[in-house]
Amino acid sequence: VAGPSLLDRRLLLVTGKGGVGKSTVSAALALLAARAGKRVLVCEVNAQERIAPLLGAPPAGTAIREALPGLFTVNVTPQESMREYGLMVLKFRTIYDAVFENRVVRYFLKAIPSLAELVMLGKILHEARAEESGRPRWDVVVVDAPATGHAVQLFRVPAVLMDTVPAGPLRRDAEWMRDLLLDPGRTALSIVTLPEEMPVNESIELDAQVREVLGIPRGVLFVNALPEIRFSPAERERLARLEAEPPPLGPAARAAALQARRAEEAGHYAQRVRAAVDLPAAVLPLLALDQWGLEAVERIAEAVEAGLGGRS
Amino acid sequence: MGAIVDSLAGKRIAVCVGSGGVGKTTLAAAIGLERALDGGRVLVCTIDPARRLAAALGLETLGNFESRVPAHKFAAAGLAPRGQLHAMMLDVKRTWDDLIARHAPDRHRQERIYQSRIYQQLSSALAGSQEYMAMEKLYELATERDYDLVVLDTPPTAHALDFLEAPDRILDFLGNETARQLLAPALGAGKLGLRLFQLGGSYIARTLARFTGSEVLRDLAEFMASFQGMYEGFKNRAAAVRALLAQPDVGFVIVASPSPLSVEEALYFHEHLHAGAMPIAGVIANRVTPSLWEGGDPLPGAETLDPVLSALGETGPGLAVRLARTLAEHQVWARGDAREVRRLFAEVEGARAMVPRLESDVHDLSGLASLAAWL
Repeated sequence: VAGPSLLDRRLLLVTGKGGVGKSTVSAALALLAARAGKRVLVCEVNAQERIAPLLGAPPAGTAIREALPGLFTVNVTPQESMREYGLMVLKFRTIYDAVFENRVVRYFLKAIPSLAELVMLGKILHEARAEESGRPRWDVVVVDAPATGHAVQLFRVPAVLMDTVPAGPLRRDAEWMRDLLLDPGRTALSIVTLPEEMPVNESIELDAQVREVLGIPRGVLFVNALPEIRFSPAERERLARLEAEPPPLGPAARAAALQARRAEEAGHYAQRVRAAVDLPAAVLPLLALDQWGLEAVERIAEAVEAGLGGRS
Repeated sequence: MGAIVDSLAGKRIAVCVGSGGVGKTTLAAAIGLERALDGGRVLVCTIDPARRLAAALGLETLGNFESRVPAHKFAAAGLAPRGQLHAMMLDVKRTWDDLIARHAPDRHRQERIYQSRIYQQLSSALAGSQEYMAMEKLYELATERDYDLVVLDTPPTAHALDFLEAPDRILDFLGNETARQLLAPALGAGKLGLRLFQLGGSYIARTLARFTGSEVLRDLAEFMASFQGMYEGFKNRAAAVRALLAQPDVGFVIVASPSPLSVEEALYFHEHLHAGAMPIAGVIANRVTPSLWEGGDPLPGAETLDPVLSALGETGPGLAVRLARTLAEHQVWARGDAREVRRLFAEVEGARAMVPRLESDVHDLSGLASLAAWL
């Protein structure tokens, strides 16, 4: 990957199929950056909020809140982004209220194609480029983006608007947004996948779309939850026989046989996705934890750091 | 037969819902297969461009048309269906186009709508569009074909609510008289010179134009004007879809994986379906890690396993340690999954099924059949 290393970029987009661990990886990236002394904002996009709770903090809602020292989170929603954007354009709250709080208009704004995506993306990108007293408001903005298809829809909005909307305020916004999204010095889109068939297929397709449709600079491929190879092939054969033994050995051998098979399949899919997606890959371990919280994020962050190790 | 299959007996429509990545598509296919084996004429309609599903069904590809799973594929899997299994993949854009063709008064109007930039976005990219078209297609399949069972695999919604609300939202927009009147003067604005002022004297429209640009408003106005007169047809059909979904021969099947987030989503869905008086056929907890250590005994440590292994002549560097650790980890997942399944099942009505995490992905009809055995 050309350009600065991942955590030195301003805008880190994280996406992948639903349920692959995007939020955990986003939180881990934010944690690493914050521990390196950076001011970090993590944006969730109109989601059931996960990042702050993962970090052991109360949910932030639509206001930016500090979850850990130097690490802030926010849930970006269409309603709130629309309000902020409307206020920015219209300057006066009274005008905004008169127009935007009108029931019909609110309704109607919802239906303008891509407007919800545009204002949400606008809010995020606005944070990413904002400066305060001569320095950036945030060193790093991590975007825990929606799942694959919805993420492509979201990040495509500026380009789509530039194709369909003639000169005007929407187009001006679309232009600077696209410039930021496509800037390899500031932006990188990373893909999270599980070493399983469907997520891997979807990641390969997503990567093609990033290259061919979005044109956003690509970051890192995170292969999440990879089980370690714990038993040799010879041992696996013996384990298969031991499964029939009474407890405690039988169940232990059964668990081992399942683990070995899962590790083998996962290894195969990890290999497949790494061969098909020419990105630096960071492999993250499968964790056996009772609760998924700060401890999990910390352990994933360690693995991310090791995985990024100078290569990105 | 299992609980879910039982509960779907006699139903003509099964709608599988749940968050993304929980295995909805595969379970939809398994439900369809089960009924086909039992003598039904079944169609599985998916929105997921999952090549694996096509492959599992023995079809080259899935398209916007109904393909029948060939008999030799069943034979190869050692299955003898007494009915038929068909599958198709929903093409959202095509379904929109068909819908417009159905309601447009003439060819000219139809073309005018197809050409509209607003329509192009609405039909391909607007959030909720997929959901609306899934419902639309379901209605068409249910009323114009003679399947005994149609299984609909719904799109992975970003939000559970989208699925039921999207049709109303889009329809309300299409039929919004106030918005139409608000925009009507914009139609007078010529192609040249974006004469903002012609958006009536409407203060609201003028202010909106500052926000969106006047061209966008004009596009929108044009689009809404081209819909004039068609709205009733759309509305009636949507109402019919709603009515169809509330009928007793429909069954919603909620699919969840045993993760806290997925269970939250499933419960939310359940609550919403319940509130909307939609018939819930059952809930499936998919990919559950089975417990391998029942009873209250503490898990065996390496020191317990080691002598047993030695007695059997099994040795290996740290084998007992690795075995003990593997079982302990497995049980962490099993306990976590069991906790989530309990939480899910405690709050839902209807049939319940728990499908264990299978040892490998479902690749063919026999794989689907063994999956169906859990339902």
